[in-house]
Amino acid sequence: MTTTTSSIEPRRRTRGPARARPSIWSTLRAFLRMEFIEEVSYPMTFAFTMLRSLMPLLLSFFIGQLVSGAGARPVGGDYLTFVTIGLGVTAMLQGALVGFGGLLQQAFMRGNLETYLVEPVPWTVLPLAMNTWALILGVFNGVALMILGIVLGANLDYGQMLGFGLLIALGLAATTAIGILSASVLMLTLKSQPILVVYGLAASLLAGSVFSVSQLPLWLRLFAYMIPHTYVINGARSLLMDNPGSFEMSFGAAVLVLSLFSVIAFPIGLWLFRRSLEFARKMGLLSGY
Amino acid sequence: MTNTVEPSIAVDHIGKIYYPTPGWMRALVATQIREPVVALDDIAFTVNPGEIVAIVGPNGAGKTTTFRILVGLTTPTSGRATVMGYDATRQSASVRSLVGWMPGDDRSLLMRLTCEENLRFHGRLQGLKPKAIERQVKRTLELVGLGHAARKSIFALSAGMRARIQLARALLHEPPVLILDEPTGAVDPVAAHQLLNLITDIVAERDIAALLSSHRLEEIEALQTRMILLDRGSIRYDGDLQTMRNRLDRPCVELTFATAAAAATAAKMLDSGIAAGSAVNVDGVTVRCILPHGTTQGVVLAQLEPMLADIVTVDEVKRPLRELLAEIYGATAGPAPSTPEDEQRRQRRQERRREREGEGRNLQGAGRPRSRR
Repeated sequence: MTTTTSSIEPRRRTRGPARARPSIWSTLRAFLRMEFIEEVSYPMTFAFTMLRSLMPLLLSFFIGQLVSGAGARPVGGDYLTFVTIGLGVTAMLQGALVGFGGLLQQAFMRGNLETYLVEPVPWTVLPLAMNTWALILGVFNGVALMILGIVLGANLDYGQMLGFGLLIALGLAATTAIGILSASVLMLTLKSQPILVVYGLAASLLAGSVFSVSQLPLWLRLFAYMIPHTYVINGARSLLMDNPGSFEMSFGAAVLVLSLFSVIAFPIGLWLFRRSLEFARKMGLLSGY
Repeated sequence: MTNTVEPSIAVDHIGKIYYPTPGWMRALVATQIREPVVALDDIAFTVNPGEIVAIVGPNGAGKTTTFRILVGLTTPTSGRATVMGYDATRQSASVRSLVGWMPGDDRSLLMRLTCEENLRFHGRLQGLKPKAIERQVKRTLELVGLGHAARKSIFALSAGMRARIQLARALLHEPPVLILDEPTGAVDPVAAHQLLNLITDIVAERDIAALLSSHRLEEIEALQTRMILLDRGSIRYDGDLQTMRNRLDRPCVELTFATAAAAATAAKMLDSGIAAGSAVNVDGVTVRCILPHGTTQGVVLAQLEPMLADIVTVDEVKRPLRELLAEIYGATAGPAPSTPEDEQRRQRRQERRREREGEGRNLQGAGRPRSRR
């Protein structure tokens, strides 16, 4: 049977319920609601995950009892405040970093991904919408960590919270971009996030969440400057601590670098994600993992 | 008379070749195929509003690939597919808002969510207004007979109910085109019959163009609709079942004899006479014989004239559709090559089996079932 479609003109829908092209907001709401229901289905997992995330601060609190005087000089003399900011910021950024990739992997494994992709949502909106719940949880986690730090005796400058909020927002944008870049590779590898593995190792070593970047050898410190975590953590310390120690980073420099990073990495991440999706579509990789 | 109805689905000589992943990618993930696989080879058909077209074919025939091209999950290597006039590759977002898709796998449902939450989720992704979502969720659940299960989570549903909720999801935004990939694959025959009746009614009522695939040939026969036979990516037949029977079917006669010895003798006579080269089967006292076109029962009886006294009954048998299709497909030797999607489905089946086995072991050990996310 031979068919020629070139003469067929696109037809508009003439019936059906009231609708518009799905907005970012409606897509965001869909994923937030879905993730919320999933999360509250497992209250014990949620409670233990939160508890586990607080443990490093408790450990650091006791290590801080040992490190005092000259030992604490590189961190400004107040190790608890230093590490509260370091671990709190890292926890906040963690959700943005791994959220999208994690949910994408889960959707691959459960077989949900294709049903998301056949909806008329622009494919570049999906990473943002799918990442939001993890991002909110990460921020919640980081705030809980910082509150625990304050309860244990950390001394933060509360007058600088607005600037801190700006730094966190920029940090979240930058790490989301890295998360999307990594998820783009996940679209092709189907099971691992090699970029995040490398980045996670680098961030834990180089960004200085539990020690000062000044303690790193100079050549490693150069790598530290390439990671957004470094700017958020050390910019936050400059804002919230009286004496941030021997590695001081000005708030302005941190904001500038993070802004530049977000402006460059975000569109690249979204573009690469779309390209990966197109390639996976062409190769027939979307249906499995 | 000129037919002015514009097709809702138009597949225009599309081809699809799955290639092995390029060398640079194999460092990231092993390739699932070693040689290029032709999944579709220049297929063309149309589906009009209000029409149900059933795609039938063995595994690897290209059914799912055709569907995936139409919903934008993969792209054709050549040719063009349109839905309501929109190009399925280049205008994918427009196409996706016009198609209701029901995948063959109920894992695509969000298991922890209730039926109504599943539908709300997709309503939001479809861009429905909040009030429209609530109205459509209620209406669609009633339509598929799940109004009473609106607040049940998917985990609590039977396979038949899950198939219905998948159909509800496909219908939620009242699309003009439905694409149903083995909609009855996981349900029992009674539930399958009810589901197909429901689909038939909805298609007629809403003037929807529906494309569905099924392995259950009795269902295709019951649907009494247009059928496309796919084989190794090519269309072997496109038309209604009766025309196919008229064109391809051959008369089949079943004779019962007084004794098994008489049946065996008669079979030999037929095999060396009018049924030479055709199938003659003996089962005890029964001989079943597929005859060449145009052969009547009278010719058979004339051939068996010396044995007329031994014949107890003579019946003309309608051959089952599966037998007819097996004969058509039998002309192509060997199994069809598997596509990456076939391979992935096979892996998923194996994983599910392993999961079930694991659960079985857990149940034995733990004494009570554990829920899975």
